[in-house]
Amino acid sequence: MPDENQNKGPLRRFIDLPTDSVPKTIFVAVALCLVASMVVSAAAVALRPLQEVNKLVDKQINILEVAGLYEEGTDVVEAFSVFEPHIVELATGEFTDEFDVETFDGLAAASDPELSIELDDDPASIGRQSKYKTIYILRDDAGEIDKVVLPIHGYGLWSTLYGFIALEENGNDIFGLQFYEHGETPGLGAEIDNPRWKALWPGKKLTDEDGSLQITVAKTAPPAGDEHHIDALAGATLTSVGVNNLVRFWMGEAGFAPFLEKLQSGEIS
Amino acid sequence: MSQTRKQMLTDPLVDNNPITLQVLGICSALAVTSSLQVAFVMSLAVTFVTAFSSMFISILRNQIPGSIRIIVQMVIIASLVIVVDQVLKAYAFEISKTLSVFVGLIITNCIVMGRAEAFAMKNPPIASFIDGVGNGLGYGLILMLVGFFRELFGSGSLFGITIFQTVNNGGWYVPNGMLLLPPSAFFLIGLIIWAFRSWKPEQVEEREFKIQTVEEH
Amino acid sequence: MGLRSFFDRIEPQFLKGGRFEKYFPVYEMVESFLYTPKTVTTAAPHARSYVDMKRIMTYVVIATIPCILVGLWNIGYQVNTAFETLGPSGWRALVLDTFGIGFNASNPFANFLHGALYFLPIYITTLVVGGIWEVLFATIRRHEVNEGFLVTSMLYALIMPPDAPLWQVALGISFGVVIGKEVFGGTGKNFLNPALTGRAFLYFAYPANMSGDTIWTPVDGFSGATSLAIAAADGYQEIIARGTTWMDSFIGVVQGSIGETSALACFIGLVFLLITKIANWRLVVGCLAGMIGFSTLLNVIGSDTNPMFAMPWYWHLVVGGYAFGLVFMVTEPVSASHTNLGRYIYGALIGFMVVMIRVVNPAFPEGMMLAILFGNVFAPLIDYFVVQANIRRRARRDA
Repeated sequence: MPDENQNKGPLRRFIDLPTDSVPKTIFVAVALCLVASMVVSAAAVALRPLQEVNKLVDKQINILEVAGLYEEGTDVVEAFSVFEPHIVELATGEFTDEFDVETFDGLAAASDPELSIELDDDPASIGRQSKYKTIYILRDDAGEIDKVVLPIHGYGLWSTLYGFIALEENGNDIFGLQFYEHGETPGLGAEIDNPRWKALWPGKKLTDEDGSLQITVAKTAPPAGDEHHIDALAGATLTSVGVNNLVRFWMGEAGFAPFLEKLQSGEIS
Repeated sequence: MSQTRKQMLTDPLVDNNPITLQVLGICSALAVTSSLQVAFVMSLAVTFVTAFSSMFISILRNQIPGSIRIIVQMVIIASLVIVVDQVLKAYAFEISKTLSVFVGLIITNCIVMGRAEAFAMKNPPIASFIDGVGNGLGYGLILMLVGFFRELFGSGSLFGITIFQTVNNGGWYVPNGMLLLPPSAFFLIGLIIWAFRSWKPEQVEEREFKIQTVEEH
Repeated sequence: MGLRSFFDRIEPQFLKGGRFEKYFPVYEMVESFLYTPKTVTTAAPHARSYVDMKRIMTYVVIATIPCILVGLWNIGYQVNTAFETLGPSGWRALVLDTFGIGFNASNPFANFLHGALYFLPIYITTLVVGGIWEVLFATIRRHEVNEGFLVTSMLYALIMPPDAPLWQVALGISFGVVIGKEVFGGTGKNFLNPALTGRAFLYFAYPANMSGDTIWTPVDGFSGATSLAIAAADGYQEIIARGTTWMDSFIGVVQGSIGETSALACFIGLVFLLITKIANWRLVVGCLAGMIGFSTLLNVIGSDTNPMFAMPWYWHLVVGGYAFGLVFMVTEPVSASHTNLGRYIYGALIGFMVVMIRVVNPAFPEGMMLAILFGNVFAPLIDYFVVQANIRRRARRDA
C-alpha cells in the first residue's frame, strides 16, 4: 500500500486525504470562499452601471410623471434632459453652486449635521431637515420658466411619504403631486396613489392673494369655488393629515416659501 | 431512472409540497404574494437558487468536510442569491424594488437549505438539480395560487391587468383590503392545505393524542 | 301533538340505515329546537343540571333583548332626526311612508320600526348564510347542528354598522363561522369568538364600509363621527362640547353599531347573565379592573400631544363597544380562560388592551374587538400557566 501512495503526486495525495482532516477542511473553506467571492464581486461590478442607471431613471420617471411628461415607453433620459436641476438653499431661496448637482442628495444631507438643522417645529415629523434641496426647472420654448418640481417628504400614518410637487411658473398654482415611496395601508392611505385623488390637486393654489399659505387637505366641505381645499381620502384620516402637514411644511417658510417668493418676484428666471 | 426523475419533478408539486406539506418558506409566501407578477419572479428566483445550489453542493458533496458542511452550503446558497439579487436590480428594477429584502432572504428560506441537506448531500448532481427544480416549482405553485386570489380579489387584477374594475376607479368591484395585507396569505395557505389534505387524505398527520370517549350506558 | 307524531313518523328515515341518513343533523336541529333533546346524561360521574347547552344559548339571546330594543330605537331615532334636515331617502323611507308611519323622531314606535328595517335584513342574511354553513358542516361531519349559532348570529348582527352592505354581512359571517369555528372542529373547540372573527374580517377587508363618519347614520349626506373618533381627534371634552352628555352615551343615544351603543342595556343583560350564572363574574371583574386601572394610570401620566390620555374610565366604559364586548364577548365561556385565576388575568388583559389600543394606537379608534380577539388567543396560555403554578405549589406542599 505505501508503494501506491508514493506513485501519486502531492495534489493527488491531498485530494485523497479524509474529508474531515484539518488541512482539507481549511483548504475547502478557503477555496470555496475565494470562488464565491469572485463570483459575487464579478456580478456586482459587471452589473453596477446598469443598476445605477436604473436608480436614476426611476427617480427621473417620478419627476417626469409629476410634470405630466411621462407615458409608457417614453425615453426617460432624453425626456429628462429638458429639466434643469438646481440646488436651492432653503433659508435664502437662492441657487447655490457649492455642491455638484449630479451627485448631491438632499435626503442624505438631512443626516449630515453640517448640512442640516434639527427641527423644533416639525409638523411633517421628519426630524432633521437638509438646508439644501435639489429642484428641477422646466422651461418652455422661449426659455422662460414653465414649471418647477420640488421634492417633499413627511410622515403619514405608518411610514414616511416621499414625493414631488410640481408648480406652475408663478410658483403658486399646483400642477401635480406624486408620491413615489410610502408604506400606507393598501386600499386606504395607499389611495394617495390613486389617479382620481391626484387629479384633485392640479389647479389648486398654495396661497391666497395676500400671500398667506392656504392649501389644506381636510374632510370638511370647502366653501364653493374654494381654490385651496383638497378633499381628504375617505377612511384615511391620518394619512390625509400627514399629507396636509407635509405639503404645508414644505410650501411654508421653513420649506420652499423663500424660493417661491423669489420665483414670483422674477428674481429667479 | 426516467420514471423516478419525473417523480422528482412532480412529487413536490402536490404530494410532497414544500409549503403545504412540509410548511417551509412561509415567510416569503406571506410577503411577496400580493401581486402575481412579483410572486412569479420570486418563484423563478427560488427555483433558480434551489436548483443550482443543490447541483453545486452535490458536485462537491464528497469533498465537503462534515464539520463545516452547513457553512459551505450557506456560502454557496448566499452567493447564488446575491447574483440573483444583482441581476434583478439590473434588469428588473421595478420588481426588485417590490421584492426588496425578500430576495436576500431566500438565503434563509428553509426550502433551499432543506433540499441541500436532505437531498443534495446524498445524491448525484443531475438528480439534485432536478430535485431542486421540482421543489422550486412546488413552492412557486403555491405562491402563484395565493397570488392569484390575493391580486384578483384584493386589487381586481391579474398580472396588473384589470379584471374587475374597482369602485375607486369608477367600476363596480369593492376590493377586499385584507387580501392586500400579508396575514391574509396565512388564511389562504391554510385553506390550500385543507383542500390538499381533503383531496389526498394520506397527507394528514396522525393525531398526537386521541380524545377518549366514554362508553355509553 | 300532531307535530310530535309527525316527527316520530319521519324520524326513522333519518336514523342509521334510513333514506335520509345523511341529513340527520338537519332533522335533529329542527326537532331539538322545538322539543327537549332526548339524550340526557344519566350516569355518574357526570354532574347533572337543568342548564344544558341549549338553555345557556337561549339565555344569552334573551340577555341581548334590551340591547336590541334600545339599539333599534336608536338607529331609527338617529335616522329620523337626520331626515328632519336632509329629507327622507332610501327604500325604507318608502316602506314607512306607504304604511303611514312617518319619520317623527319623537315617536318611539316609528323610530323602532325604522331601526328594525335596518336590523332585520342584516339579521336574516346572517341567519341564512351562517345557517347554510352550519348545516353543511354538520352534514359532512355528521354531528348535530349546535344552538351556539343562534348566539353567534345575534351578536354578529348587533355589532354591524346599520348600513353594512348585505353581501359583506354574508361574507363576514361565512368567515366567522368557517375560519373562526368550523376549522377548529366546531362549537366548543373554537378558541376565537366567531362573531368577532367575522367582524374583524370585515373591518380589515372593507374598512371604508366598517369605519368612518358616514356609516353610522345611513342617510345620504349625513356625517357623524362616533364618540371615540371625536375623542381620538380632539379629546373627550369635545364629545360633550358637541352635545353628547355622558348620560346620552350611557343610555345609547349616539352614533355606533346597531346593538352596542347603549351601555345601560348591556348592563341589564349582564345582570341577567350573572343571576343565571351563565356569565362568570370573575371575567367581568377582571376586565373592569384592567380597564379602570390602566386608563387611570394614563390619566395620571398625561400627554401633551395625545388627548386620549386624559379620557377617564367612566367615559371609556360608555363609549364604543366596551360595554357590549364586556357583557357578551368577554364572558363567552368557550374562548375565555377556564381557570378561576386565569379568568381574572384574561379579563384584565382585555381591559388593559382595549385602553392601550384606544389611546396609544393612532389607526384604530376602537379597540374592544381587537382586544377580545387578542385575549382569546392568550386564554389557553394563561390557563396553562395557572395550572402549572398549581401543580408546582402542590408538589412543594406534598414534598
